[in-house]
Amino acid sequence: MPPLHINGSTGEGGGQMLRSSLALSMALGVPFRITGIRANREKPGLMRQHLTALQAAIAISSARAEGTAVGSREVTFAPGPVRGGSYRFAVGTAGSVTLVLQAILPALLVADEPSEVVIEGGTHARSAPTFEFLQHALVPLLARLGGAIDVRLEKHGFYPAGGGRVAVSVSPAATMSPLMIERRGEVRSTRAVSIVSKLPFDVARRELEAVRSRLGWSFDTRNARVVDDAPCPGNALLLYIESEGGTDIFGVIGERQKSSERVAAEACAEVESYLESDAPIGPHLADQLMVPCAIAAAKGAGESSFVTQPLSSHSTTNSEIVAAFLGRAPTIESRGAKSVRWSIR
Amino acid sequence: MARSTVAIGFLGTTLDVGTGPDRWERWRPTVSLCQQDDLLVSRLELLHPSSAKSLAKGVAADIAAVSPETAVRRHAIDIDDPWDFESVYSALDDFARGYDFKTDVEDYLVHISTGTHVAQICLFLLTESRRFPARLVQTAPRAKTTSPQGDVRIIDLDLSRYDRIAARFERERRDNVSTLKSGIATGNVEFNRLVGEIEHVATGSTDPILLMGPTGAGKSQLAKRIADLKRQRHQCDGAFVEVNCATLRGDGAMSTLFGHKKGSFTGAASDRPGLLRSADGGVLFLDEIGELGLDEQAMLLRALEEKRFLPLGADAEVTSRFQLIAGTNRDLALRVAEGRFREDLFARINLWTFRLPALRERPEDIEPNVDFELDRFADRSQRVVRFSREARDRYLAFARSAAATWSGNFRDLSASITRLATLAAGGRISVDDVDREIERLERSWRRTEADPPTSGPALAALLSPDDLAAIDRFDRMQLESVIEVCRSCRTISDAGRELYQASRLKRREANDADRLRKYLARFGLDWSRVTAASARR
Repeated sequence: MPPLHINGSTGEGGGQMLRSSLALSMALGVPFRITGIRANREKPGLMRQHLTALQAAIAISSARAEGTAVGSREVTFAPGPVRGGSYRFAVGTAGSVTLVLQAILPALLVADEPSEVVIEGGTHARSAPTFEFLQHALVPLLARLGGAIDVRLEKHGFYPAGGGRVAVSVSPAATMSPLMIERRGEVRSTRAVSIVSKLPFDVARRELEAVRSRLGWSFDTRNARVVDDAPCPGNALLLYIESEGGTDIFGVIGERQKSSERVAAEACAEVESYLESDAPIGPHLADQLMVPCAIAAAKGAGESSFVTQPLSSHSTTNSEIVAAFLGRAPTIESRGAKSVRWSIR
Repeated sequence: MARSTVAIGFLGTTLDVGTGPDRWERWRPTVSLCQQDDLLVSRLELLHPSSAKSLAKGVAADIAAVSPETAVRRHAIDIDDPWDFESVYSALDDFARGYDFKTDVEDYLVHISTGTHVAQICLFLLTESRRFPARLVQTAPRAKTTSPQGDVRIIDLDLSRYDRIAARFERERRDNVSTLKSGIATGNVEFNRLVGEIEHVATGSTDPILLMGPTGAGKSQLAKRIADLKRQRHQCDGAFVEVNCATLRGDGAMSTLFGHKKGSFTGAASDRPGLLRSADGGVLFLDEIGELGLDEQAMLLRALEEKRFLPLGADAEVTSRFQLIAGTNRDLALRVAEGRFREDLFARINLWTFRLPALRERPEDIEPNVDFELDRFADRSQRVVRFSREARDRYLAFARSAAATWSGNFRDLSASITRLATLAAGGRISVDDVDREIERLERSWRRTEADPPTSGPALAALLSPDDLAAIDRFDRMQLESVIEVCRSCRTISDAGRELYQASRLKRREANDADRLRKYLARFGLDWSRVTAASARR
């Protein structure tokens, strides 16, 4: 079978295009060739964290791959059967543990055997899902597609020292079921959590204070979580919204030279945008769900659908990758100005 | 299998320091090197003083956290004084010599942002000289942010990889080549390639250069240009000293070349430095090196190898560093086989050997050389002379034709243009002028070609065709007879008596032997050579 060609220079998010392609390729047994990886970036080609995801994918699917070097603009990937088992991966430069999982978790869900995966690196990294988002927002929805996933945070890891550790147990699904999330329904509870590592407690208090003044979410000392297991200073602010349709979490990572108030303002803006729409699935969650839903549809689960906020260019590109691997495009219907329905059959 | 990257560098005993959690908020060069999104260091060779062992271990542990892909190997290297050039260089050179570089599978980076400035300089030198087969890598904190990650810059010292620098070199090379060609835009591919090679050797080597080629092919001119080029490039600052070895015969040869002390022989009235000393720091051009006597050859070889030699009558050796350019129109290998040229000297000078083509092998270059000669004439005589269109075409057509043998090469061309320019009326060379000049040239070439048989077998065996061509027919006929007489006599005195049989009677002191010796020396000959050649025959 000639490999499917993915043009990495069009659309957004070169790294995500590679991770989505890897997940779909392994789960569906379709080889691919991606060219023009991050072509328009200042530092084009594969970055180290992309290479780690690629190598993890090679490991779980005994793939034959070319272009597996930092700076590579083109990767060819031909997966073998995905094998469950025990794996351990480490991500350098505090690259995100959750992004590596984005590439391999959907495939492990359709493997022949259960898996135990340990990944070391950043658990709360910029431009990546936080561990809490993975655990409380994404994994419960993946479980509804079939199989069972258990994720445990063993150690926190922040930029730049990393040192975090996440353990994942995956029991593959015998058969897959469709996912259908159409309504958010009533918001049942909201909660803000500020994680601080080796930083003054005041950082957490100021963030929570800012969230209360902007969103009216009350807090007490239990909302501040001081952790001592990470080697370097770090901070993450997580805003949970639990509704009838499920849980979504909006996280922002604190950085040096970024005030607690700025961190809180960024997180609050995401929440406000989410609450302005009536969609149950926020933009980040939508991005993470497309590939698993597409795999379920390809495995005969029937149509999966969810309602989310209008698609970012990131999500549009992701939909195009799905269409390329499945040979059919997802349906995207507008539900008024503030939400769209995304479905794949 | 993808190649992997190996970095080699000093531990920064100041910049890499840090134990508390806040060390992660600072830029630390060695950690930063392993922390880049777009650079994967598979192995780090971390050089550190034994006193900094615990810091090295700490840095290695931090690198393991940020870069689990990187293996850190620590090397305790103790340098007495890290600001002492010799100690640092030796220590690093030892490290490089002992290191098993696997350049077929690994790329090496030498980290220069840590260590003393002396260490930086030494690392640069060792990398530039390929003791470290590596590129340099610099790390620096990122401007305007406090990101501990910083930036890295890889510096490849292979200058040909940089377009703008390469263009600069190319420009310079073109200028150099132009200097070598005396600014003449020659079109002959073979010749241009040759000059390109000479440029390379002249600017990159101080070894002897051997220029072969027929008389008048421009050896002497080219040697001068090579000296000019070396002077421009500050590769030499001494004089350009030129001598034709064919003129160095007899007792004076040694002294001319190597100098003498006052009183070392009759006539040595004062110290004489000799040409080799005069060329100290400069370029010595020995034309017709094949004519050099065997004793002089031995001395020259020593001067080349040891940069020192003993002047006549001196009790201490003198030194001279000169670039030797040798010229010859002979087949030196043949002279070696005949036992007339030292094999070891030949081997020493036969390293960069260039054969200059004859003018008739370079028909494309006749026109630019004609213009060059006209310009030269104008400079010399302050008179601008031009060909008429028709005259120029006719002259060039003849000059490039098979009829034009140019046996004297550029010497002939130069003389021809000088004649034309001098005789041209009103600064214009006419068709008639050209026709007459063509006749002159043809006549002179006919004569040269017809000459060797008329010069007799004795002379042909003693002198090279070029030397013969330089002797008037009048003298040649006389010399031929003189040699015949010499060979029929037992001693030089007998021959002198026979040859000067009339004039000797009118003299008060009849030193016929001395008269004969001086006569022979005019042609670079002496009694033993004249008679030895007869014995061999």
